[in-house]
Amino acid sequence: MSLFTLNEVKKTFTIGEVKEEILKGVNLSLREGEVTALVGASGSGKSTLLTIAAGLQSASNGQVIFEGNNLSQMEEEGIRKIRANHFGFIFQFAHLVPFLTVEEQLLLMLDVSESKLKKHEQKSEVNRILQVVGMEHRKQAYPSSLSGGEKQRVAIARAIIHKPKVLFADEPTASLDSKRSKDVMALIREITKTLNITTLVVTHDEEMLVFVDHIIKMSDGLIVQHS
Amino acid sequence: MNLAFKEIKRNKVRFLILGSIVFLVSLLTFIISGLANGLSQDNASLIKDLPEGQFYMNDDAEETYTLSRIDSSLQDELLTNYKDATALSIQMGILNNHNGKQQSVVFVASTESKNFKDVKDGEIILDQSMEEKGINVGDTLTNPQFSGEFTVKGFVDQTKFSHAAVAFINIENYKEIYRVNEMQLVFVPKDNSPQEISGLQSFSKHEFLKTIPSFNAEQMTLNMIVWFLVVISGMLFAIFFYMMNVQKIGLFGILKAIGLKTSRLFTIMWTQMIFITITSLALSIAISQGFNLIAPEGMPFSLTIETTMNLSVVFLVIGFIGTTIASLQIKKIEPLQAIQQGEI
Ligand SMILES: Nc1ncnc2c1ncn2[C@@H]1O[C@H](COP(=O)(O)OP(=O)(O)OP(=O)(O)O)[C@@H](O)[C@H]1O
Ligand SMILES: [Mg+2]
Repeated sequence: MSLFTLNEVKKTFTIGEVKEEILKGVNLSLREGEVTALVGASGSGKSTLLTIAAGLQSASNGQVIFEGNNLSQMEEEGIRKIRANHFGFIFQFAHLVPFLTVEEQLLLMLDVSESKLKKHEQKSEVNRILQVVGMEHRKQAYPSSLSGGEKQRVAIARAIIHKPKVLFADEPTASLDSKRSKDVMALIREITKTLNITTLVVTHDEEMLVFVDHIIKMSDGLIVQHS
Repeated sequence: MNLAFKEIKRNKVRFLILGSIVFLVSLLTFIISGLANGLSQDNASLIKDLPEGQFYMNDDAEETYTLSRIDSSLQDELLTNYKDATALSIQMGILNNHNGKQQSVVFVASTESKNFKDVKDGEIILDQSMEEKGINVGDTLTNPQFSGEFTVKGFVDQTKFSHAAVAFINIENYKEIYRVNEMQLVFVPKDNSPQEISGLQSFSKHEFLKTIPSFNAEQMTLNMIVWFLVVISGMLFAIFFYMMNVQKIGLFGILKAIGLKTSRLFTIMWTQMIFITITSLALSIAISQGFNLIAPEGMPFSLTIETTMNLSVVFLVIGFIGTTIASLQIKKIEPLQAIQQGEI
């Protein structure tokens, strides 16, 4: 079933006097429990498309439909709530909060998503997710003492602890070496399957494509290939 | 989860530096303001410590009390008509003690009044500072223009005028020394004071203080320094809080992206600002009040709790405004920019 649909999404940036159309009418639907990869040349509009889908910026035209809500017509606060409760984010860099421990990063996410769990239930949920990403032994560590791969695994844990329906990842492996990249992608795939999440991953790395169910290729603001 | 205090705990040094700046600047302001007030006490406590009321001097005195002469019949009329009214004169002069040592004082003579000392013929009551200079009760003092001798009857607390010790003398002795028959001023306490008396110009306490040339110049300078400090510290606060928050724009962008409310980000900054400012102010209030108690005798320093509190409120308001201006940036942060800026 398709949880997420984009209809004729267009995005125009105005740089100085020049208007440039970066997305020229994208149609896309994402399916539950599957990883969809977005590939294409640099500048083809992948990140722009992903952030529009994630409600981090608005489309100039077209519809972004999540569970029957059209994000492109919603108020800021409504979109924020959807992001907090139903979306998870992984970026090229982990972007952890520097002054929180690994455990606190995840508790914060539960807090932001207004989790109904009691305090001790939240803690055991944090433990469980940290086990999933293999970071439970660094629960009390601060981000500054973690390696890049470890940070990224914590970021993944943060992105899924509140049981999002959609996971957005923009080049989640770009800052990691080949071995760690594979680990992270395998982890994203596994989580997608076990938690039945809808996942959209932007990647440059051909090697990562073995972990995905669909590949969408973009070129010059349009989807040129589906597989 | 209390993000504001978690951050302070993790970045103690940064917040300690910010706190010490607030502390030092506010302490400096308190001390200068204590000195300003102390100097003004030293300069005019004779007048400042009076109850609120009106001073009257001659119209043709051109606002200079030393030139004022109030006609005796008018004086009598005022003293009978207005309750607690007093006629008085203030003049610089000198006193010699038995071994010829000279002291400058301000002679004050008044008609009978509860606001000034009652002194009998040949007696003198001095400001406490004279006791510290070695004069004792029962000593005799002379003045070149005075035929008799003054016997020291006692001392009064902090009563000064134009930075000199006040010497209360009997009105008749005063008239002899300065060869005058009229008094310079009439003082009527507030509740009874009339607005207009023909031939006389009326001054509130505050207005009268301003007619004393040295007082006015001194206070203007000191007050300017105090307000200058307040403005500078305000700018410093604002700049520091601003810089601290601007450094966190990337982090705030991420927090916004994962769904934190903007209002929560504001709360974080306000909590931190209020915590730091109040802690630092409490410390500098304690130290400046401590200094108030132990300030060396000769040092004119006087800092009331009220002044301290007023300045503290000004500091808090300024800090709040600074933080809020810095925070307006945060409202504008696009989560997207932060994400694309790379590692924070
Ligand atoms: N805020 C913006 N203002 C102006 N132009 C922008 C903005 N964001 C993106 N663009 C432009 O849109 C085009 C597509 O950018 P986008 O980041 O989506 O590319 P991408 O496919 O993710 O590339 P890469 O693989 O290098 O990350 C680029 O030419 C970029 O310069
Ligand atoms: Mg990109």
